[in-house]
Amino acid sequence: MTRRINKVAVLGSGVMGSGIACHFANIGLEVLLVDIVPRELNDMEKKKGLTLNDKSVRNRIVNDALTAALKSKPSPIYKQSFASRITTGNFDDDLPKIKDFDWVIEVVVERLDIKQAVFENVEKFRKKGSLITTNTSGISIEAMTEGRSEDFQKHFCGTHFFNPPRYLQLFEIIPSTKTAPEVINFLGEYAGKFLGKTTVHAKDTPAFIANRVGTFSIMELFNNVKELGLTIPEIDKLTGPVIGRAKSATFRTADVVGLDTLVHVADNIRETTKDESKDVFKIPDYLQKMLDNKWLGSKTQQGFFKKVVEDGKKKFLTLDFNTMEYVETPRPNFPVFEKTKGIDDLRERMRILMADKGKAGDFYRASFYSLFQFVSNRIPEISDELYKVDDGLNAGFGWKLGPFQTWDAIGVESTVKAMESAGKKAANWVYDMLKAGATSFYKVENGKKMFYNVPTKSYLEIPGQDEILSLEVLRETNIIWKNTDTTIVDLGDGVLNIEFHTKMNTIGAGVLEGLNKAIDLAEADYKALVISNDGEHFSAGANVGMIFMLAVEQEWEELNFAVQMFQKTTMRLRYSSIPVIAAPHGMALGGGCEVCLHSDKVIAHAETYMGLVEFGVGLIPGGGGTKEFALRLSDELKDGDIRTNAFTNRFLTIGQAKVSTSAYEAFDLGFLRHGVDEVIVSRAHQLAYAKKVALNMAEKGYSKPAPRNDIKILGREALGLVYVGADGMALGNYMSEHDKLIAEKLGTVIAGGDISQNLTEVSEQYLLDIERKTFVELCMQKKTLERMQSLITKGQILRN
Amino acid sequence: MNAYIVGGYRSAIGKAPRGAFRFTRPDDIAAVVIKHLLNDFPQIEKTRIDEVVVGNAFPEAESGFNMGRMLSLMSMGNVEVPGSTVNRYCASGIESIAIASAKISAGIADIIVAGGAESMSMISMGGWRQVPNPEIAMNNPRWYLSMGLTSEMVAREYKISREELDIFGAKSVDKALAAIEAGKFKDEIVPITVKENYFDDGKVKSREYIMDTDEGPRKGTTVESLSRLRPAFAADGTSTAGNSSQMSDGAGFVLVVSEKILKEYNLTPIARLVDYQVAGVEPYKMGVGPMAAIPKVLKHAGMKLNDMDLIELNEAFATQSLAVIKELGINTDILNVNGGAIALGHPLGATGAKLTVQILNELKKRNKKYGMVTMCIGTGQGAAGIYELL
Repeated sequence: MTRRINKVAVLGSGVMGSGIACHFANIGLEVLLVDIVPRELNDMEKKKGLTLNDKSVRNRIVNDALTAALKSKPSPIYKQSFASRITTGNFDDDLPKIKDFDWVIEVVVERLDIKQAVFENVEKFRKKGSLITTNTSGISIEAMTEGRSEDFQKHFCGTHFFNPPRYLQLFEIIPSTKTAPEVINFLGEYAGKFLGKTTVHAKDTPAFIANRVGTFSIMELFNNVKELGLTIPEIDKLTGPVIGRAKSATFRTADVVGLDTLVHVADNIRETTKDESKDVFKIPDYLQKMLDNKWLGSKTQQGFFKKVVEDGKKKFLTLDFNTMEYVETPRPNFPVFEKTKGIDDLRERMRILMADKGKAGDFYRASFYSLFQFVSNRIPEISDELYKVDDGLNAGFGWKLGPFQTWDAIGVESTVKAMESAGKKAANWVYDMLKAGATSFYKVENGKKMFYNVPTKSYLEIPGQDEILSLEVLRETNIIWKNTDTTIVDLGDGVLNIEFHTKMNTIGAGVLEGLNKAIDLAEADYKALVISNDGEHFSAGANVGMIFMLAVEQEWEELNFAVQMFQKTTMRLRYSSIPVIAAPHGMALGGGCEVCLHSDKVIAHAETYMGLVEFGVGLIPGGGGTKEFALRLSDELKDGDIRTNAFTNRFLTIGQAKVSTSAYEAFDLGFLRHGVDEVIVSRAHQLAYAKKVALNMAEKGYSKPAPRNDIKILGREALGLVYVGADGMALGNYMSEHDKLIAEKLGTVIAGGDISQNLTEVSEQYLLDIERKTFVELCMQKKTLERMQSLITKGQILRN
Repeated sequence: MNAYIVGGYRSAIGKAPRGAFRFTRPDDIAAVVIKHLLNDFPQIEKTRIDEVVVGNAFPEAESGFNMGRMLSLMSMGNVEVPGSTVNRYCASGIESIAIASAKISAGIADIIVAGGAESMSMISMGGWRQVPNPEIAMNNPRWYLSMGLTSEMVAREYKISREELDIFGAKSVDKALAAIEAGKFKDEIVPITVKENYFDDGKVKSREYIMDTDEGPRKGTTVESLSRLRPAFAADGTSTAGNSSQMSDGAGFVLVVSEKILKEYNLTPIARLVDYQVAGVEPYKMGVGPMAAIPKVLKHAGMKLNDMDLIELNEAFATQSLAVIKELGINTDILNVNGGAIALGHPLGATGAKLTVQILNELKKRNKKYGMVTMCIGTGQGAAGIYELL
């Protein structure tokens, strides 16, 4: 029988518990979140005359925790109203409710005796066959089920969400020896498809996979930092985006996580392991001093960094390890960065960095050789399969390249030799692998990603690929057409995909050419087209540089032509004879948003941040976005509605450059359409699903839509509001005089121009023409040029 | 011919939009006040009442359907008494009393119930569908300037500091709390039974309670606590929720009669409206309205500011209140002695009537003669009325 999860109980409402509860609410489930009853009344409760029997008192701990979580940023919940799916309760009164729950998740304090006591209670009420999981980052899973029934033990498993559960991709699954295989498989599939996580099956070893390796990497640096003679900012520069890791890199991340937390994990690993790397997890003197001084990072206002305000200016000082004082450190730079600048391919960058003859190269070689030695020795201790290590670091620590992936990038064999001369040694199985003629840990074969399987000494398929489509794999074999900015691949079954691969996936002439080409190809020989990519973001918008150049040179004809080209392309997305599906993720701003607005259907990843943000560069949406808002305004109005209010909503969404914080919010902002567009939680499944939807639309019978000429505009009915509103905002210094001008022009376009009769019906082309005319007019404004220039040269939004 | 006020009451003022009257309609509040007022005059046959005139600033939705007529139907027990609604924004409640007095003085009416009612919980400031004239919006957008911004304009022009505003706001609260504590409003407030059905914890529940005390003043308000509030109307502004009038729900009415009626029923007159004038000013700084209206009414009545024993200057904003006080040199000892709209609330169209009821009672308590009710009015007007206690 298929296991269904409808109701989830989360026991423990700390930061993790509340975050997990929110994420289950995110995907639409009924959630019960419980915590302990407080021992005594607080002052406020005493004042109100409440007693320990009042429900508001009994649920105070859980309610306070959930409220704090919902207020935290970034938000744990896709949309605040989803919080109504969570009911709160307490252990004493509400535990019996779990009798009809499908899954009980324990997230109480990390103490074995307390966890065991909770499980004893859970067993009294749970229904047979329901899942029980413990979310832990270190305690032995095996020990937790002692004394429990067979049914309990069979359905019990360890899991490890990473904080914050909504955003961090990794979900480690740690079965005990008694966990039923059905449960293990189910959790893997469920967490992937329903919760949108990258699941990694781990063994019940200290800190599991990701934290074991990630903590090694940090502690290794902590212990060598003095000898390396590098400053904190230097190391953060070296271990940041340049090697495909977070901008907060090493020390800044440590400050954010909290040194006490890090040390706690490190202590645990050191005390429970006996391998060759044990000493790496020792706490160096300066770190001990920091702990003693309570310099724990952000939560104590100082750690490796300390923020100070001097002459009204904020600046960060960094710790000098020798003097233990906070000092100003010069901006770090290394000559090798001159060579890596402009190289987008991370693997290529890694090769250059590792080969560098300077200080940076020395650093990289030292730290990566240690890491390679460490991870190769951890197979099979922490995992039989090496890809799980990379998955764990990719998803849990945000490393774009995990250890084995990095090793592959710089060459396995040459690195093994280089490691030897540096006094490090790869595990024996690596030598065996090379001896057998296998030169890399991964390869792509027949459209499938394979990994080198150590126990069988052969390549095996990475499981779970049947249900997903990976552009990375498809690019190897299925390219139909490409130019410098886009690539069109065949997804199979008659569906094409076009991906952008410009910087930030911005849209310029090359992307427009690609989109037209993709539609041409699809109309000629295929059934449907999907627009998606595997970059960090779907698209940050139109290429402002191109518009700026034409405007500076006052090539108005050409600029008009370029904007027209953009409009024609977005219009073709809708008015073509094949269904076009946009599958955005991450940022879908400006022109990227307009591409989505004009697709037949959007299959948005839950983490999609949509917005028409052209105001920031002194413009209005010119690729059909403003027109589309007028069209949607017309479509959403029913007889008798207060039209002016609906108008104001649409106007302000562009006028205040609102960006959704999730795909669900994009519905509220009017970027996505109820009943048409869809949200998918699993990024891994997004493309395969988009393809399926595209095919379905084609199968059902898809024809090119007839042009619209029934768009009701408000005309003069709305113009008064626009001018009065803009004037007031400027007078209140909420916006500049230039903003006021843009706002007036924007409002006039959404209103459909100065038309006396309201609810006049106009065509899309009429609206596109006034949108484009206004766009070009704004490009003639000096202040708009200044705004574009600021974005291009400084990456900053100028409010002039 | 003279017109005489023979009685007057008001409701307690509720906070909008979440106060005691959040679900109570303005017509329901007003009808209770009118019935209570008429109960004091059992000898007057209801059918002899010429009219109910109600002031209201946003006569639509729950305040729509010509609320004045609805009130005559709701409170008179007959269909004969007519009703009308007048709108002069924040002066509506005194405008109606002026209309009543004028009609009676002109001899075309003998008995009029006049006052105002407003629910800011139910009808938002500006109304539900705002459609400014596009020509005006392009050429004179500030004729439509929002009230908050007019306050900032006054602060900028008269160079009034944030600190002055907060001091003024805190003082208003102190005076109001003291007045409530001393029971000063007890006699003039009509207790209103509020019934609510609401949904709580999965069940429909009902509650009933009596609303008889002004909800506005917040205990523990200090200059320091007000100084922490953020500007409400402009990014760099000085007006905040703490130094501006509160949004409120409430109603107030007086009974105005002719000399003939006074004699016929042997009624005791309380006061008369000596004079009432409205003056226009620049809409973008509508808060200065009283600067024009006060001299105008004094001149027309042949009186001086010094003749006034008490003044109720509606505290739309601390900015405009302070500007008016400074500009006209008003003696603050006689100004808003029981606190103003910053503390007690400002139910727009009801305010003129509410302040009338308050000042007549205070004049009586102090055994004084002349009182002035004055206020600024959105889109650039000021109104001022002088009462003489008889």
